[in-house]
Amino acid sequence: MDKNKRPVEAWKQNTDQTIKRFPERKDTFTTLSDMEVDRLYYPDNDLLYEEKIGFPGEYPYTRGIQPTMYRGRFWTMRQYAGFGSATETNKRFRYLLNQGQTGLSVAFDLPTQIGYDSDDMMAEGEVGKVGVAIDTLEDMEKLLEEIPLDKVSTSMTINAPASVLLCMYLAVGEKQGVPLDKLTGTIQNDILKEYIARGTYIYPPKPSMRLITNIFEFCQQNVPKFNTISISGYHIREAGSNAVQEAAFTLANGIAYVDAAIASGLDIDSFAPRLAFFFNAHNNFFEEIAKFRAARRIWAKIMKEKYHAQNPKSWKMRFHTQTGGSTLTAHQPDNNIVRVTMQALAAVLGGTQSLHTNSRDEALSLPTEDSARIALRTQQIIAHESGVADTIDPLGGSYYVEELTDKMEEKIQEYLDQIDEIGGAVQAVEEGYMQREIQHNAYETQKKIERNEEIIVGLNKFTIEEEVNPDLLKVDEALEKGQIEALQSLRSKRNQQVIQNVLQKLRKAARNEHDNLIPYILEAVKAYATIGEICNVLRDEFGEYTGL
Amino acid sequence: MEQKIRVLIAKPGLDGHDRGALVIAQALRDHGMEVIYTGLRQSPLQIVQAAIQEDVDVIGLSSLSGAHRTLFPKVVEELEKRNAGDIPVVGGGVIPSEDIPFLLEKGVRKIFTSGSSTVALAQYIQRLVHPKESTIIKPPEKIAHIGIAVHSIEHALGFYTDVLGLPLEGVEEVKSEGVKVAFIRIGETRIELLESIEDTSAIHQFLSKKGEGIHHIALEAGDLESRLKAYRDQGVPLINETPKSGANNSSIAFIHPKAANGVLFELCQHTEGTE
Repeated sequence: MDKNKRPVEAWKQNTDQTIKRFPERKDTFTTLSDMEVDRLYYPDNDLLYEEKIGFPGEYPYTRGIQPTMYRGRFWTMRQYAGFGSATETNKRFRYLLNQGQTGLSVAFDLPTQIGYDSDDMMAEGEVGKVGVAIDTLEDMEKLLEEIPLDKVSTSMTINAPASVLLCMYLAVGEKQGVPLDKLTGTIQNDILKEYIARGTYIYPPKPSMRLITNIFEFCQQNVPKFNTISISGYHIREAGSNAVQEAAFTLANGIAYVDAAIASGLDIDSFAPRLAFFFNAHNNFFEEIAKFRAARRIWAKIMKEKYHAQNPKSWKMRFHTQTGGSTLTAHQPDNNIVRVTMQALAAVLGGTQSLHTNSRDEALSLPTEDSARIALRTQQIIAHESGVADTIDPLGGSYYVEELTDKMEEKIQEYLDQIDEIGGAVQAVEEGYMQREIQHNAYETQKKIERNEEIIVGLNKFTIEEEVNPDLLKVDEALEKGQIEALQSLRSKRNQQVIQNVLQKLRKAARNEHDNLIPYILEAVKAYATIGEICNVLRDEFGEYTGL
Repeated sequence: MEQKIRVLIAKPGLDGHDRGALVIAQALRDHGMEVIYTGLRQSPLQIVQAAIQEDVDVIGLSSLSGAHRTLFPKVVEELEKRNAGDIPVVGGGVIPSEDIPFLLEKGVRKIFTSGSSTVALAQYIQRLVHPKESTIIKPPEKIAHIGIAVHSIEHALGFYTDVLGLPLEGVEEVKSEGVKVAFIRIGETRIELLESIEDTSAIHQFLSKKGEGIHHIALEAGDLESRLKAYRDQGVPLINETPKSGANNSSIAFIHPKAANGVLFELCQHTEGTE
């Protein structure tokens, strides 16, 4: 290789360009003893390094997807919140934004996530419990009241009915006078991991994949800044997988979505830049960091080499991270703050784009405001006090981390090959392959804990006698009743004929598999059709998935 | 051959987190039980119908969504409506401790929260279904005595007999424990004064570490041998795993103070006719 054309020179030039447009947070970064911190540390003259590991912002992105990473801007601090009514959740959102949070993340209750109205028999006892209840556009209007959608990006954890909630969000944006191409945010929209690990599916895989590719297409044309999917390993890990399985199954699902979109006629570079990922940050510090780095590298290679994507944005794996909820203990809950700190640090050292830190009381119930604040402060302390964000990928070049990253990549690839052999992720899900792998690992983990081979501090070692009874967040039991009354009053005020018409149009579109359903859903939502009404039309047409 | 215990593991409501349910199903199978798992999103009625149809011995409910206060009692209610109230219901998941009394009052037998061991759960179900083999252990009947460590019985006695005016029942030496004891009757129970007669005795250690004061509370409890076994199976830390002889012709055993907020409990069983 010509010495003048070493990749490092190219990277430096590229980075200078970036900094002209997006200046770094400071002109110079220093340690507490006033030693200057360089942008990046790398071996002086090692061509193997330059090819294999590369530079931040450059293929294959082992060291991060941006040329300056957190020297330019910190990751987005995005705490998942939502409980009870839309009005209450709106208050919590505004509180979090005032506390310095930089993006919203909406948790929906289970009836909303499974497309039931709050007064459906199936919804009994669940309304407003694990998130906010959204029945109609009216609830979404309350949820986002006085939150400027042109300034705040919103992430919505919604999957099977993602299209409905997305349309409600677009409708509110329109009412606020924000053009669709200015709206930013993410819908989870990852149905495969629902079958594998999380359980909020509605329809069978095939029509579900259609809804997803419909969203890709609609957003590419109308809402280009919205992340149309967040391909999630988080729940796979929570269901009991290990780090390799988490990354492998997530990547396999990602490949399945890409295949489906291409099969529906979309060009890879038209949708791939809007694909986002979502990972778990678990306990084993270095393994987690290696996982993030390996996943990023594999995705880049797949997109470039397998799908021949031309746009570098299609190669970049952008991801959100949440600390591992299932690692938290009900015993000695304050210890969880320490766990979350370590996990959050791993996510940052792994180069995450956004981060949710869990609250200490999540093994006991939904977080209180106090606990949610400590969780956010944990991120702020890492960002502003620790100095870890002042140089890029500080662990790059560590013998251990690089070796672990390579090994991870190898093990993940083995799983990808295995799933490929089965016939892809959709087939593997239908056969229960991933489910079995995860369950096996979950059970083995439990046995190790009970045999004290795996130590959980405060649970099977260093235990104390304690009364587990901290302040807990209680969702008001009267809320369900209130939500139902509001819904029924809205229903009685609507023009029934209009509702019948929009639903009938949706039904017809559902029957023609070449129709994109999103415009019809948007029309129904704007007419204040309920989530249950819309999802029931599609249930009639698509059928319901009933598990293995 | 003995019939296998049949367990229905169910996920009521819309919650999709079934890691716990699946792990428990597998663990109970490994303990020799037959386990039927309902899958997700079962209504209380569906769960009860499945339980009756499958003729199960016990139902295990798992919920992490916060809907347990509504759904767990509904399952009990539906069982009773269908004359199947004899099928016990146990529950688990993310359940705040303050909700547990409410659920027990509504007829749920027991709640296992996050961090419970699968072994304890399996043993609990075994006892629940086959109470004869594992014998349901009755609660202790009363406080047999309160043990107070003193430097000298002779000096201490006056307060109890002269000031309080309680009757002294007797003084004896328990050589095996290295102590001399005095029993003072009060109503149907006693105060036991303990004086060390050997430097190696537990009372000697107690006195030199903490000084005089309440040393233990003794509970009158039958079936001592099987009781100790049952406690041990539940993971209760014991000082004595089998009974030993105590004062006044009794069999005794101590429970480790770890089990009871630092209080040392003695279990004692008096041989017939000695009381």
